[in-house]
Formats: sequence, C-alpha cells, structure tokens
Amino acid sequence: MKLDTSGLESTSPFFGSGDELCPELSAAPSFSLPLSTDFDEFQKDTKATLKHAKGTTTLAFIFKEGVMVAADSRASMGGYISSQSVKKIIEINPYMLGTMAGGAADCQFWHRNLGIKCRLHELANKRRISVTGASKLLANILYSYRGMGLSVGTMIAGWDETGPGLYYVDSEGGRLKGTRFSVGSGSPYAYGVLDSGYKFDMSIEEAAELARRAIYHATFRDAASGGVASVYYVGPNGWKKLSGDDVGELHYHYYPVTPSTVEQEMAEVAGA
Amino acid sequence: MVGKNCFAIASDRRLGVQLQTIATDFQRISKIHDRLFIGLSGLATDSQTLYQRLVFRHKLYQLREERDMKPETFASLVSALLYEKRFGPYFCQPVIAGLSDEDKPFICTMDSIGAKELAKDFVVAGTAGESLYGACEAMFKPDMEPDELFETVSQALLSSVDRDCLSGWGGHVYIV
Repeated sequence: MKLDTSGLESTSPFFGSGDELCPELSAAPSFSLPLSTDFDEFQKDTKATLKHAKGTTTLAFIFKEGVMVAADSRASMGGYISSQSVKKIIEINPYMLGTMAGGAADCQFWHRNLGIKCRLHELANKRRISVTGASKLLANILYSYRGMGLSVGTMIAGWDETGPGLYYVDSEGGRLKGTRFSVGSGSPYAYGVLDSGYKFDMSIEEAAELARRAIYHATFRDAASGGVASVYYVGPNGWKKLSGDDVGELHYHYYPVTPSTVEQEMAEVAGA
Repeated sequence: MVGKNCFAIASDRRLGVQLQTIATDFQRISKIHDRLFIGLSGLATDSQTLYQRLVFRHKLYQLREERDMKPETFASLVSALLYEKRFGPYFCQPVIAGLSDEDKPFICTMDSIGAKELAKDFVVAGTAGESLYGACEAMFKPDMEPDELFETVSQALLSSVDRDCLSGWGGHVYIV
C-alpha cells in the first residue's frame, strides 16, 4: 500500500545533503509503521478503548451571503468531560475554515498540514487554491490512511473565485459537496433545527441565529456536546468570528425562567 | 453528607439513554418516611421498581411494629433485597440517609448487589462518583449547620456534574 507521505515533506529537502553528522535531516521523513500484515485488526482492542466516538456537534451551511460555520466546544473521553473550551473551528487560512469532529489530534494535525499545502499551492501557482482543490487534497491523504484508525469528520468551508464552497470530508475517504452539513453525535438534533429553519435568502444575522440555535439544541439533547457555541461567517473577504456564547446562558436566554410556585417547602417534622 | 444533627441528600436531574437526554427534571431521591430518604442512581426502571418494593416492605413493617423503620434497619433491608438478585441484579446504586435515635444522622451507600458502605462524613454514587469523592473530600467539614451543609452539598454536586457528560441539568437537595 503506497501511503501519501507528501504531507511530511520538509520545505528544504536539499538541506545538509551529504552531511554524515546528521543523517536524519536529509533522510526522507516518514511515520514508522507497525510490523503487521493486517492493519485492520492491529491493536483493535486498544483503539476501541480509546473511544474515538465523534462526541461533538458541528455544522455548516451555504446561504445567499456566504457560508456559516458553527460548533460546540466540549471534549469528552467516554463519560468524562476533559475540556469545555476546545477550538473546533480551525482556521486553515484567512479565507478557509475547517471543523473538527472525531480525534482532536488527527483533525488539528491534518488541517494544519492542509494549510501548508494550500500555501505552497498559492506560491507555486500565483493564485489561491479553490475549496474544491483543498478538500480533494485532504480527502486523498485521508483515503491513503484508511483503516489505520484515524478519526476525522470535517467540513471544509471557504470562499473562492466561484463563490462559497462547502465540502464534507471524513477519515473513511468520503468527500461530499453540499449546501448543508452537520457532523458529530449531536448532528441529528442540529439537523432538525437547521433543516426546518433554513432559507437560502437569509441575512447574515438570521443565518447566525439559526446556526447558534441549532448548536444550542444539539447541546441540550446530546451529552457529548456542550460548552460554548461558536459561530463563524465566511464571506468574500474571508472568515470572521461572529459570536461565542455559553450554551447554559443561551438556555436561559431562549427559555427564561418565570417564577413558579414553590415545589417543596421546609416542614416541621414530628419528633421520633 | 452528614452535618450537626442533620443530613443532606442530593442528586442531579438528568435522565438519559446513553448520550441522549430524555428529561431534565427527573426525581431520583424518594422519601420512605419523614426522617429517611433514599436516592437511587443507575437504571431508571430498576430504581423505580426497587423503590416500590421498599415502600411495600416499609408499610408492612409499620403495620406490624406500629412505628417507622430505623435507618440502620432499612439499610440492612435494602442490602438483603439487592443480594436476593445476586445473579441477575438490579442495576442501581442506592444512597440511604436518615436520622436515627436522638437525631443522629446515618448515611450509607451500596453497590448493586448490596455491599453496605457506612461512612461518618459523606457517601456518593453514580456516573460522576469519582469526581464527587474528590469534591466532597475537599469541601467537607464536620458538624456543619443546615445552611452551610446545603451550600457545601450543592457546590460539590454542581462542580462534579459539570465534569460529567451523563449528569447535569441542576440538582435536587434535601436537608433534614
């Protein structure tokens, strides 16, 4: 199986060629692979215990003014909440965003890698890479690592010469072009709100409110989503972060508590 | 948690099926009599059934003995009922809290097959149990008055459930 190691090439391949003191610098970089003939079963039990369930909610949709991208910020390991403040919307470059669902390390590394390759493309071709091209680069890399346990469920959102672009790319090697996506364990709940409230002709504020509400409802029902609902907008001039609201505060904002009758009162109890 | 001639028993309010939240106002703590409360964490259907069986047994006891059950006796009853199902257990962990003779607070917890664990300060159960042990250990002081006990129990509960996906949505706190 030929792995796509282009992501690991250093930017100065000819540095120190012929230098016997540091042979590692001029050697081709690579991941060391386990000595196994069957990659699918390799350490299957260990991988299962790490519980890479995509416990998150992310969504993105295209509308008249551009692309709206939103995500929660909870990281969970099984039942334990490891963090309530994870950045799940990754800034690949000033006009492209990627969302994180699945393994955090996998998403962060490969998105940064994608950013490097996009910049190299810009320098080599004197024009920005399209969202189609960027998502294809990532999808090809992930396809070559298929079956090795990477867990990535990402959406690439950006604005290029053809207008707004949105692609869903995952670690199984799938790549889909679309106008509305939601990824993660909270996605069914987010889809419910997103699909029923979606109109192509929305203003930026309306679209942001729809995205925020969809994330809030997903964090209400899904235990693995929570924290802060971040909303980003991608327009012709690049991306802009619109808001980051704690979902607990959003709950009381959408459903304010009216003072109700007292549930239980302290009562005098007869002695034993 | 035990205070000065009083006790507090608290639970969260979430009812869920794995990751999906079904309800945010679920009552997990039930009264046996005015000075005895039991909180049942774990599988909701088992906790409802177990509670109904315990109320039944307690009412029979009241008819025969013409008085309420002491918390120590009740704990032994719960332990026996759970062990009856040793090879097909109820999937609940009870937390029992009551006032026994001379208003002395009594607390205990059990695993799902009835192993009693008595404690003088606090007992915990549930998915955030380990977190709760840490929080209670840090916040507990002996001989707290009811108001201070309420604050301590509430803060320990809230800070622990904030670190657990499967618990949350507020808390119910009973001070007796």
